[in-house]
Amino acid sequence: MKKILSTLLALMMVLSLASVATAEGVTIKYWFWADNDAYAATMQEMIADFNATNGQGITVVGEQIPWDGGGYSNTVFTAAMGGGGPDVASWKLTATPSFVANDLLAPLDDYLAAWSDSSQIETSLWDVMRTAGGGDKVYVMPWNTQVLYVYYRPSLFAAAGVSVPTTYQEFLDACAALTKDGVYGFGMRGAKGGQEPWGSFIHARGGSFADLTTPEAVQGMQDFIDLFQKGYTPPTAPSDGFSQIIDNFKSGLTAMTIHHIGSSAGMVETFGDDVGAFVFPAGVGQWTSMGDTENVMFASCANKDAAFAWLSYLATGKGQETWCKVTGNVPVAASVKALDEFQQNPFMKVSIQGAPYAGILPILDTTTEWISTVWPSTVQQALLGEITAQECMDTLQAELYK
Amino acid sequence: MEFIRKRGRRTNLWPYLLVLPALTVVVCVVFVPILNAVSMSLQNYDLRRPKLISFIGLENYIKLFADRQFIASLYRTALWVVFGVGFQFVFGFALALLLNQEFRGRALARSVSLIPWVTPGVLIALMWRWLLDGNYGVINDLLQKTGITDGNIAFLAARATALPSVILTIVWQGIPFFALMLLAGLQGIAHELYEAADIDGAKSLQKLRFITIPSLKNTIFVTTMLRVIWVANSVDVIFNMTEGGPAYATQTLSVYIYLKANTLNMGYASAMALIMTVLLLGVSIPYLRSMFRDQGV
Repeated sequence: MKKILSTLLALMMVLSLASVATAEGVTIKYWFWADNDAYAATMQEMIADFNATNGQGITVVGEQIPWDGGGYSNTVFTAAMGGGGPDVASWKLTATPSFVANDLLAPLDDYLAAWSDSSQIETSLWDVMRTAGGGDKVYVMPWNTQVLYVYYRPSLFAAAGVSVPTTYQEFLDACAALTKDGVYGFGMRGAKGGQEPWGSFIHARGGSFADLTTPEAVQGMQDFIDLFQKGYTPPTAPSDGFSQIIDNFKSGLTAMTIHHIGSSAGMVETFGDDVGAFVFPAGVGQWTSMGDTENVMFASCANKDAAFAWLSYLATGKGQETWCKVTGNVPVAASVKALDEFQQNPFMKVSIQGAPYAGILPILDTTTEWISTVWPSTVQQALLGEITAQECMDTLQAELYK
Repeated sequence: MEFIRKRGRRTNLWPYLLVLPALTVVVCVVFVPILNAVSMSLQNYDLRRPKLISFIGLENYIKLFADRQFIASLYRTALWVVFGVGFQFVFGFALALLLNQEFRGRALARSVSLIPWVTPGVLIALMWRWLLDGNYGVINDLLQKTGITDGNIAFLAARATALPSVILTIVWQGIPFFALMLLAGLQGIAHELYEAADIDGAKSLQKLRFITIPSLKNTIFVTTMLRVIWVANSVDVIFNMTEGGPAYATQTLSVYIYLKANTLNMGYASAMALIMTVLLLGVSIPYLRSMFRDQGV
């Protein structure tokens, strides 16, 4: 009996020592999404690098969460509301209002004030982050951006005798001229996510997101409808999402499509030199979508100093360089942007050319619903001829600003 | 302890104590969420605007009946259920009759026929999405090779074909359920009935009408009711094939509820869910009445 008691006592002492040892370290739970397995593996390598080099005993545990066509934000929201969310998570700005409204995010202002690297990120980007959080505080740490541009096939352009469009009208004409021999001029995205390329049409006619019902914005919508109804896009366009527009372009079904640099590696792998890119050309106005990816710290995080160390590693540290090199996304840190690898990449060059015209949708508490259900359903109705361009834009305006 | 006296009678408490754990679980996982849903449906429970959540009475319900998408979703749900379950039943019954015959490889055929039923809905939806793809789908390829069409049909991108396409998919998935249940029922019918009918000179269709179908009446009733409820509530197939599009063409009520809840408008989604519950209860009541009548309750 004595022997058993002494063994138990020894075991308890060992366990208590072990718990003291653990308390010295800090663990940060990080949720992220990755577009493919290679990116997920890269993230785990970055986490391993941070864990080995941070020198503060911080251990980041990375968990990949499916992007799920944007359902990622809802997954994180549900988890955070239920008390089982992460300490830090990858982010899309559009999700910010609902999280801020429910007091789920930690403001970063105090940390940023004491952070020497904050000047590496452009002031305009900090303004965007502040606006997304309601205007008073910064809840979101920039990470990387993706500027949308037009991918095209030089060989198909040459065969059709079409030059790279330099104006919006030339772009519309090119869509028509390239449609022949089983190839469609433009790979339109009519399903979820299509609001990003669509925004370029609205602005090219002189419209804006501030008022979608102006004659200029309606004309942009009419152009979008005409491309589909005149047969310059695949007939599947109303239901085509990201994977469909990329597959259609890669299979040679379309001569042009709109996406960001994240697809460039796959395009080059498929076509070699027979793929190029240009900025969506100017009409009366010029705009392209700035895809954004950030990181946030949650209010429930018990170790905010450690969480901020991880956030800063991703924003301006080694994590920034590694992630942007592998994914091809546009870095936010000036020191990383200046690296040769980024300056020499032709797709990065086009991204940087488009950056002055790049913007985002208004970040409102209606934006998520507008993107996920209102925009696709309403625009599909217009494409299929069930409503007019004016009716479509009236609905989009009413639902965004309700 | 286990007995108490009530008006001079001794009442055994044990049965109640034994039922208590199960009852507690049912209350916690069924009744509490239902009450919570009722409560949310009476509030503008929109988590995007949590500070504005307040009691609004029946406003969500009033809004619903002015919501064209709700009415249209209700109509589409009726089509989805009637054609989805109807064709599942017809083909499932035919398959059950076939599998009830003696032939070589019957055991293998029975096993293989179950594959659609045991395959997850998400996988089925993705598989059929590819089969029906408007640019590269096998079905388009077959239709063109057999000369039925001379160009691709954008099955999931056109209003006219999107709903029939998702109904086709749910029919394919549900046939084995009916086949399995009806086959079990068929095997329980006494052979003497058919022998007597043969002696009387009954033809196949007469035997089907006067022996098989009446004998399977209860099985048909129960399986159809269960399937109506499951199909009406089903989201996975539609969502993974079309997300309710194009232009709402495949948005059933369950998909609409899911989309509203997913955009955090829980009050409105709860109101719709409760209306759907009431409608499905309407389907269940004849079954429950029949069951209680059979049990003499």
